[in-house]
Amino acid sequence: MFDTQFLIEVLVGGLLSGVMYSLVAIGFVLIYKTSGVLNFAQGAMLLFAALTFVSLVERGTPFALALLATLAIMVALGITIERAVLRPLINQPPITLFMATLGLSYVIEGAAQLLWGTQVHGLEIGVSDIPFDIAGVFISRFDLFAAAVAGSLVALFTLFFRYTRTGLAFRAVADDQFAALAVGLRLPRVWAAVWTAAGIVALVAGLLWGARLGVQFSLSLVVLKALPVLVLGGFDSITGAIVGGLLIGAIEKLAEVYVGPFFGGGIEAWAAYVVALALLLVRPSGLFGQKLVERV
Amino acid sequence: MTTITETTVAPTRLSWLTPNLLGVALLLLLGYGLVPWIGSDYLMDAVLTPFLALALAAIGLNVLTGYAGQVSLGSAAFLAVGAYAAYNLNLRLPSLPLLADIVLAGAIAAAVGIVFGLPSLRLRGFYLAVSTLAAQFFVQWALTKFGWFSNDNASGVIDAPVIRIGSLSFTSATGRYVFSLSIVAVATALTARLLASQIGRNFIAVRDHEVAAKVIGVPLLRTKLLAFGISSFLIGVAGVLWAFAYLRTVEPAGFNLDRSFQILFIIIIGGLASLRGAFIGAAFIVVFPLLLSRLGAALLGSVFDSGVLEMSQRIVIGALIIAFLIAEPRGLVALIDRAVAAARRLRSSQS
Amino acid sequence: MLLSALTTSLDVLALETWAPGTARQVLDTEPAAAPGAQVSGGPRAVLRLANISLSFGGLTALRDVDLDVAEGEIRAVIGPNGAGKSSLLNVVSGLYRPDQGEVWFGDHAFRQVPTAQLARLGVARTFQNLALFNGLSAFDNVLIGLAHRVHTGFIRQLVGSPAARRIEAENRAAAEEVIGFLHLQEVRDRIAGSLPYGLQKRVELARALVARPKLLLLDEPFAGVTLSGKQELAQHVRGARDRYGTTIVLIEHDIGIVMGLSDHIAVLDYGRKIADGPPAEIKTNQAVIDAYLGVAHEDETELAI
Repeated sequence: MFDTQFLIEVLVGGLLSGVMYSLVAIGFVLIYKTSGVLNFAQGAMLLFAALTFVSLVERGTPFALALLATLAIMVALGITIERAVLRPLINQPPITLFMATLGLSYVIEGAAQLLWGTQVHGLEIGVSDIPFDIAGVFISRFDLFAAAVAGSLVALFTLFFRYTRTGLAFRAVADDQFAALAVGLRLPRVWAAVWTAAGIVALVAGLLWGARLGVQFSLSLVVLKALPVLVLGGFDSITGAIVGGLLIGAIEKLAEVYVGPFFGGGIEAWAAYVVALALLLVRPSGLFGQKLVERV
Repeated sequence: MTTITETTVAPTRLSWLTPNLLGVALLLLLGYGLVPWIGSDYLMDAVLTPFLALALAAIGLNVLTGYAGQVSLGSAAFLAVGAYAAYNLNLRLPSLPLLADIVLAGAIAAAVGIVFGLPSLRLRGFYLAVSTLAAQFFVQWALTKFGWFSNDNASGVIDAPVIRIGSLSFTSATGRYVFSLSIVAVATALTARLLASQIGRNFIAVRDHEVAAKVIGVPLLRTKLLAFGISSFLIGVAGVLWAFAYLRTVEPAGFNLDRSFQILFIIIIGGLASLRGAFIGAAFIVVFPLLLSRLGAALLGSVFDSGVLEMSQRIVIGALIIAFLIAEPRGLVALIDRAVAAARRLRSSQS
Repeated sequence: MLLSALTTSLDVLALETWAPGTARQVLDTEPAAAPGAQVSGGPRAVLRLANISLSFGGLTALRDVDLDVAEGEIRAVIGPNGAGKSSLLNVVSGLYRPDQGEVWFGDHAFRQVPTAQLARLGVARTFQNLALFNGLSAFDNVLIGLAHRVHTGFIRQLVGSPAARRIEAENRAAAEEVIGFLHLQEVRDRIAGSLPYGLQKRVELARALVARPKLLLLDEPFAGVTLSGKQELAQHVRGARDRYGTTIVLIEHDIGIVMGLSDHIAVLDYGRKIADGPPAEIKTNQAVIDAYLGVAHEDETELAI
């Protein structure tokens, strides 16, 4: 017998955890859109943010102050990365930049744990995980909260990019780097802003993921969850990151529940990748990605 | 990636008779004639054998990434396929000699590599890199999930058989080192030969300008799949060495993403599109942690425990990757070449 | 006439300074080396475009373009920036699929030319922005122009079977010949990416020529080349036709250089062919002067910046 209510519950659970994926993916998209870098260090930044925040709170810093301090540190980190790593690599092929961020992720992970230690920290952000009962379907309160935070973050960024000068510059750079340079936009400043934004996203995602999984090294591995999301949605589309995240979340949960038993479970690790790959073979730039026109 | 080139070995016929060949002969002489007699077991077991296995894996990845320009983040998966395939061939077809097991294991890894290389026909750059991650996760999952691969060991652990060829058995540290050296030497020679042929030129053509390669009539499909196949074959054989000659007991978790990155780092640090680079990079990756731990212990004493060592190792390796990409994208091999050239100039100006 | 006489003498001069003694020889062999042109009943079209139209989204790049290129001729396709020249070449080499029309190579007609088969069809091309394989030596770049002739599998290449060795030897000989012809011996072992721009252009020409193509497509071969380099390159292009009987289609927006070099010139403007004829005719064609020459003037000022 097919249980529709159970299906809905699985689906909603999947969609909500998908929001968490979207949140990580947005950090990627921001940077990719403006500088063509697939920032593998996004996961490490997330770990760094969460670990810094937790350690500050554990050492008795008030919640709000810790949040501000971490924010400041993330902004500084973002600007430093732009200065020290990306600026010297300007005009290099994208894959070189990617490998540089791979190195960067090692540096940040190492530094975070050298600084704050390797033990697992619990993170309490004041939202309980007691499920809601909505028309017979149980929904996690925490998931809803996370979805709300992600939603407002996206709204905030949208407003920012639509109505501020920096936002306008960001869009211009995303559209055409050379043209943006030609009209006198200073790319490094835009990039610094973008890395700052990515740092903020990393902080928010780090806190939410940290509250869910505990703050530990494996937190940086959420980057691997975000990659199929990006592939599915296209590396350069915020809409794609959101839709992709929701899709991957839903597919993962549905596959685990309905397909997993045939394989003995554990297919969460790669189901998302297989789905993303299958889509790629049909649409090589993802669902919302810009089609690349090859110029010769 | 297009700017990364091997300057010293332009594959022309004359280069066979250069000092390069002499150098290789000298190294082999050292490797066979001197090291087994004077090297300690520790040196051969903990340094040279893993160095050889990693160097071979790096050569494999270099064929794919350095020469053919297809980035892969799933090398460890093919190490694992090689190791587990050889284990099962040895277990289930006991009549086959071990050398045949090794070659077949490489072939199986090549087949798996070709399957995961199929997306490369449509995907490029990051999209392809992400798709090779699928290989990484899938293989690791399958080896843990299906007991058959590990002869029903609960956690997928396998114990390597004794390496025996004919009546010779290679059980001692020296024996396993000599065995690895022989396999790596033969595999490297064959790879060098292949890279100097039309196939090697096709690889570079696909890497440097895919459209032009297509116009000229380089078969893109065949060339890319061949790169995946050869690369996975070499990495698969390296996996056999890793499992049979070095660790002797392996589990799927040992072939994780960090291992894949390690091999990628070897070729970035050593030098992309260079066979020497693979060896130099592998030597660096093996020796560097040992040096760092000695140095750390000497400078900081007991504060420098294994946790601190691991973290500082990560930081230094990561920073080195960035530094090399910025300052010398052609890796250590280019630095060494430049140092040698400078030394020669100095000598000639003095005389 | 004066112009062509001038360029010819300049060419001879250029060739004399570059490779003393060869100029006379090249000029002497000119008539004999273009056999197709002599056949009665009109030369057979090596390349023929029938009614080609191409658009990107709403933007029309080519509109009902016809073109007949006879065997052994040098045909220039000129036009201001954005006239559709590059699109035309990309249609001929199969990188774009036209919305309508056909491309004929001799007796073979294509809706979309199969790019991977191009070399086997006897067509070679160069690219506007250099498309050398930067990691290979100049010699290997030329050698790889024969990639389509290597049909031995990788095992045979690995062990060096007789067939593999024979093909390799033949190809090397052919590459040596072209290297010699284009005077690239001195740089043959240099990594292509490290060569100066003009030499890279010549290596690319050699790579396209090594397979002795029936049809050679040159995409703005003179762009970014110095004035003396242009003369030298023009001489090489003509030499290639004379030596190998290759039919050449080149696109260019510098009208001066093609006047002396080409047998026929087709002019594109806004994706339409507005003129097609011998250089002398094109020079006096009012439509060309209106559409092109005025713009060409602007181009020059553009270049000056």
